[in-house]
Amino acid sequence: MTELTTRWLGLDLRSPLVVGASPLTDDLEALKACVGAGAGAVVMHSLFEEQLVAEQMAAHHFIDSRINMDAEARSFFPESDVFEMGSGSYLKRLDLLQDALDVPVIASLNGISSGGWTQHARELEDAGAAAIELNLYDLAMDPSDTAATLEQRQLEVVRSVVEQVTIPVSVKLSSFYSALPAFVAGVEAAGARGLVLFNRFYQPDMDLDELELSREVVLSSNAELPLRLHGMAMLFNRTGLEMAASGGVHSGDDATKAILSGATVVQLVSALLVEGPSALGRITGELNQRLSTMGYRNLAEARGALSLDNAPNAGAWERLNYARLLHGWQSVQ
Amino acid sequence: MAFHTLDGNEAVASVAYRLSETIAIYPITPASVMGEHADDWAVLGKPNLWGQVPGVVEMQSEAGAAGAMHGALQAGSLVTTFTASQGLLLMLPNLFKIAGELSPFCMHVAARSVATHALSIFCDHSDVMCARGTGFALLASGSVQEAQDLAAIGHAVTLESRIPVMHFFDGFRTSHEIDKIVALSDEDLQALVSHQAVEAHRNRRMTPDRPVVRGTSQNPDAFFQSREATNPFYQAFPERLEAVMGRFAEITGRHYRLFDYVGHPQAERVVILMGSGAECAHETVEWLMAQEEKVGVLKVRLFRPFATDRFLQALPDTVKHLAVLDRTKEPGAQGEPLLLEVSAGLMEAYSRGEREILPRLIGGRYGLSSREFTPAMVCAVFAQLEEPSAKTRFTVGVRDDVTHLSLDVDSELDIESPQTRRALFFGLGADGTVSSNKSSIRILGEGTDLFAQGHFVYDSKKSGATTVSHLRFGPLPIRSSYQIRQAQFVAVHAPQFLERFDILEHAAPGATVLLNVPWPADQVWDRLSVEAQRVLVERKARLFVIDAAEVAEKAGLERRINTVMQVCFFALADILPRDEAIARIKESIRQTWGRRGPEVVRRNVEAVDSALANLHEVTVPGEVTATHTRPSRVPVDAPDFVQKVTRLLMDGQGDRLPVSAFPADGTWPTGTSQYEKRGIALEIPVWEPDLCVQCNFCTMICPHTAIISKVFEPEAGKGAPSSFEAVPETHTPELEGLDYRLQVAPEDCTGCGLCVEVCPAKDRTRPKRKAINMQPLEEHREAEAENLAFLRSLPDVPRNRIPRDFKSLPLLIPLFEYSGACSGCGETPYIRLLTQLLGDRLLIANATGCSSIYGGNLPTTPYTVNADGRGPTWNNSLFEDAAELGLGMRMGLNKLVGRARQLLEDMKASLSPELYRRLTRPCTTLDETAMAQRREAVSELRDWLGDQQGPGAQELASLADELCPKSVWVIGGDGWAYDIGYGGLDHALASGQNLKLLVLDTEVYSNTGGQQSKATPMGAVAKFAAAGKETRKKDLGLLAMSYGHVYVAQIAMQSHSNQTTKALQEAESFDGPALIIAHSPCIAHGYDLVHSPAQQRRAVDSWAWPLYRFDPRRIHEGLPPLQLDSVRQKVPMKTYMQEEARFRMLELRDPERYEQLVAAASEAAKEQRELYMQLAGIHFEAHEYPESDHKEGDRHD
Repeated sequence: MTELTTRWLGLDLRSPLVVGASPLTDDLEALKACVGAGAGAVVMHSLFEEQLVAEQMAAHHFIDSRINMDAEARSFFPESDVFEMGSGSYLKRLDLLQDALDVPVIASLNGISSGGWTQHARELEDAGAAAIELNLYDLAMDPSDTAATLEQRQLEVVRSVVEQVTIPVSVKLSSFYSALPAFVAGVEAAGARGLVLFNRFYQPDMDLDELELSREVVLSSNAELPLRLHGMAMLFNRTGLEMAASGGVHSGDDATKAILSGATVVQLVSALLVEGPSALGRITGELNQRLSTMGYRNLAEARGALSLDNAPNAGAWERLNYARLLHGWQSVQ
Repeated sequence: MAFHTLDGNEAVASVAYRLSETIAIYPITPASVMGEHADDWAVLGKPNLWGQVPGVVEMQSEAGAAGAMHGALQAGSLVTTFTASQGLLLMLPNLFKIAGELSPFCMHVAARSVATHALSIFCDHSDVMCARGTGFALLASGSVQEAQDLAAIGHAVTLESRIPVMHFFDGFRTSHEIDKIVALSDEDLQALVSHQAVEAHRNRRMTPDRPVVRGTSQNPDAFFQSREATNPFYQAFPERLEAVMGRFAEITGRHYRLFDYVGHPQAERVVILMGSGAECAHETVEWLMAQEEKVGVLKVRLFRPFATDRFLQALPDTVKHLAVLDRTKEPGAQGEPLLLEVSAGLMEAYSRGEREILPRLIGGRYGLSSREFTPAMVCAVFAQLEEPSAKTRFTVGVRDDVTHLSLDVDSELDIESPQTRRALFFGLGADGTVSSNKSSIRILGEGTDLFAQGHFVYDSKKSGATTVSHLRFGPLPIRSSYQIRQAQFVAVHAPQFLERFDILEHAAPGATVLLNVPWPADQVWDRLSVEAQRVLVERKARLFVIDAAEVAEKAGLERRINTVMQVCFFALADILPRDEAIARIKESIRQTWGRRGPEVVRRNVEAVDSALANLHEVTVPGEVTATHTRPSRVPVDAPDFVQKVTRLLMDGQGDRLPVSAFPADGTWPTGTSQYEKRGIALEIPVWEPDLCVQCNFCTMICPHTAIISKVFEPEAGKGAPSSFEAVPETHTPELEGLDYRLQVAPEDCTGCGLCVEVCPAKDRTRPKRKAINMQPLEEHREAEAENLAFLRSLPDVPRNRIPRDFKSLPLLIPLFEYSGACSGCGETPYIRLLTQLLGDRLLIANATGCSSIYGGNLPTTPYTVNADGRGPTWNNSLFEDAAELGLGMRMGLNKLVGRARQLLEDMKASLSPELYRRLTRPCTTLDETAMAQRREAVSELRDWLGDQQGPGAQELASLADELCPKSVWVIGGDGWAYDIGYGGLDHALASGQNLKLLVLDTEVYSNTGGQQSKATPMGAVAKFAAAGKETRKKDLGLLAMSYGHVYVAQIAMQSHSNQTTKALQEAESFDGPALIIAHSPCIAHGYDLVHSPAQQRRAVDSWAWPLYRFDPRRIHEGLPPLQLDSVRQKVPMKTYMQEEARFRMLELRDPERYEQLVAAASEAAKEQRELYMQLAGIHFEAHEYPESDHKEGDRHD
């Protein structure tokens, strides 16, 4: 048996397998089952500042602006219904999960304004989050907005949040950085403790019958894993940040690969959504089985074993270009 | 002393709530708010004086509330209710019972006109006067302070006297006026109420421990004596009331008497009245006394029991001339009620020798339906009292050129104190003007030593409504219970008002005028009309302008300009230091919107901070330079009645119209909404003929008939305006050869965007361009108005050429157009479609509610006529009786039809057989060919009758139109159908009469502001269901199906218009009663109604709103009568529920309860589906799920 306990962001986890940010946050029974099946921690779905703002303004527009506009109907909803449209319900949920689950509960935050990031981060800390996962994502649309300014802005966000809270902060990145190691160095310098690689996005599809865009949630498959493995393998030992794999882990072997490429923890979402909480038990068993078979006594021994630094044929991590691969194939012949 | 700034409804409710244990209510304007406050406080767990949270229950009607009140009293509880007008009338039987049983009970009435020739939501005392025989004590208050105080006194005295008390105050004036008052604390109330009396009341409760029987039936030998046995209680009441008023004075320092006299101690002329008018009289008397006039006013606090001795004590002995003013009308009476009481009291005193002078007594009516009652009118009454031949019966406030009862009033007289500052704000309903003014009054009331008063006037439109806020503030108490005529500050929050109303007429000399306009400051002057400039120049006004919409939009508040304008008001009005005012506005924003979340606060604060930088003064030149005058409100070719009457009503000048201008019996012409061009949309749909597929989805869904499609002979289109495009009709084979045009009514569109939302035609190269696209109104207004006029002038193609499928039906001429319904209303398209199918043969009985307001509220109404002058005829009786009204119409109509047929039979011998055959062969309302032929035959018959001499000829001529079949439809909302009118609806269905009932189901009382009904779905938050409704929506359709002889359908037009058109036509063709329950998206659901088609589809797909048709005719064909038009549950219930604020509010507030109720609602839908499946398969021995004719992928069905 391999010792599966680990430390992530300074938190002692009994397993590297963590429930990732997902709709499971809303399903307490499922989360309890995941924890029962061995999950090391739970990451809540993101507190989306943009969504909060949109909903607040929608309420302001469709409820508040319909007050005092008609002789007979002073308003259309009960006034006593003082329903919180800010982060309150998220914080309440965080509180509830902490009480109900005996593993660390990590909050996730996706802000849009500098004030929003820091204010919500403080709220999350005050509400007792074990750590905060910052979900950085900007869609660059303004031609005058360079990659450098955008990245600087993001690093500023990380820095300001880290300054505001005492709990550890991890940063979840997209895979679309031109110079990932440099940016990661910036993230580290800004005071973050961990990286989550990588974010997955809602990617609109097209409805050819209606000639419009469609939005469907597409769950991950382990075809998405190699991108994560590559990112972590490249960064392992080149950053002081701990890394979490996120996206594409559906089996114990997937988790093993993530750890071998340098992950400290492995986040699971799609596997749990598809298969239910039992997937967590299955993957834990498979991971343990695989690592034991491979002779690892603990995770530290396995971590990064196939990273760019440690892999026997590490050059493969660098040969992503099609022409080189083709060449390699010819040489084998 | 704790000062509070609040309105009468809240002040009264606060007292009544704290002094009650059980509160049974039913929403009715203008009293609804009191019940809502009580419900709010109960939800928040606020205790009453005895530490309990009162039980608040919304009943199915006021009659139901009264029954519940009676029961609670019998159980020993302390009970209250709030009502008005028709609601009070529905309570009457129980009020007699409650008084007859000497039950201590205090209720509060925001007095409102009882509907007569018309409904009115406004104030007079006709409702409470209907209750004066109940045995209740009637207690009147005239201001917000008094309303609060007399509410407390009423609760206290009823306990001690056992006489139930009806405390009333003027609806929409006192009930809605915001004043700064001294609030009553719990300690005050504790000291006032006799706990011994509470105990005594409880000890009289019904209990099996000490059984008694009440409510016996009594015979002639017992009833009379029993009634007389209550006399001592009534005799003792005045003294007991005085004792309570005395105790109240000791506690609060505010002393009330049964009759309060204000005026000269040796007054010779006195007016007597009650309610808010007495405050105006008080103000006027003080002004007249300052001019050495010996006048006075006697305010009546206690009307019943009428305490003659106290009245005589209060009235100076010196009075020679007395005018009694009643705010009610009792046609045919010797005098109105107060006059009669006063006359009898004086006469008896004089005849007994207790009074030396019998003053000359005159009596008049004033203020019906909130007609203004001003100091000038009080002066007119005093002047009349000096006339040697004074009118003994008179009216004041109207110009009666028919019976000449009215007094002349000096319309220029203005007695308002210069120390009282006056401000007027003209806003749009949706721009938040009233809300920010309420906030301003609170800021002034609670942040300064000033007295402050706010009064708000709304027009009757639900979209693009106009509001006028009247604010007074100053160092002296404010008794002016009338609207401000001229103000030192006039704010115009919507630029279009400048062209529609003579707004600046309200600017006092030297006034500050603030305009919100989208123009640069240096262009404003040149854009003003001659009329506007003239006022500004002549009155030496200062003019300030701001583009508040831009400031608000930049702050992310869309066009909600209220905080921006509020800042400007405080900056210009100079009442508070500017910084302090701004700080207080921000604090008010935090208090009001903080609960919505920080972003709402942030954006409003940003708007506040950027307001002043955008405020500019415009120099008013010494002379008028404009050349354009304010345009006339109605076209010159409008009918005479519209020119003479409707136009003035639209201009807000209706008060100036004399009695003779009005129909005496409430009969008005239809088709007037076409003359009220409001131009309220910012953007309107503009047609791209090259893309249009002529599906007519847009015209099918338009709530305001503001986009119409029409086919016409190409020849007729010649001479069209240059921008008038038409394309050949290509969609419908039957219409081949005709031209087709889609036309927007630019000045009637509300800009809701539903038409564009449902448009399926896209430009393949740029799919966001559809066949209609929203574009700025101003760019298209003129051309499209011209095009619309031309299109309307084109002859309609014969109705029988247009197929009766859902895509072609919108080509039929609509006879319901341009209503004042909310932008995006989900009800009105059903009515429009009904008029397209049946408009020229349709009688409508309409329940009170939204559909009666947008359907029949003056100044203009939307039901209109076709080229032959035929169209729907419409009547609204009451809220509760629409089905009965319709049933009566049907029965009455049947008799006239029968008589016409009888006469026809009598003349058969002399009539041409061919004409007789054409007049008697089958003809139904849906058979257009037969209908056209029948109309032609009737016309020939009438021609023939013209030459006949027989006794029946003239009679048949007058009834001949009844040989063309007619249809009677009852229209109402869910409050009517599920609650207050359910008994009648059920009875009408049971009657078997050929009557159709259309329920516009918004699942909530929409018109009165979102109170739950039995149609409210499980899990929805509504008023009186703040924690989310726990029980299922009543299955009204299933109840109707249980009769077996009723056609029943549940429809959803915004997403399934095919099924809707089928159901309407099947219902019409069914020879018997039909019930149609129509899903009606409503702003009370809390989402952007532009998404209502998609959301309604979710409702159908989740089985929150299953579609079905139940046709008893199928039974005879051996088929199951029930057909399900939505068989499968395609999406989870949650998918539907999560999209509407009414459900989402619960999720945010109590996620676990939300989940429970979602699960329960899902289960309910599942069970309903199982049951319906079985019913739909009932014919078959083997249990098989029926096939549906539902077609996948068909957008509209």
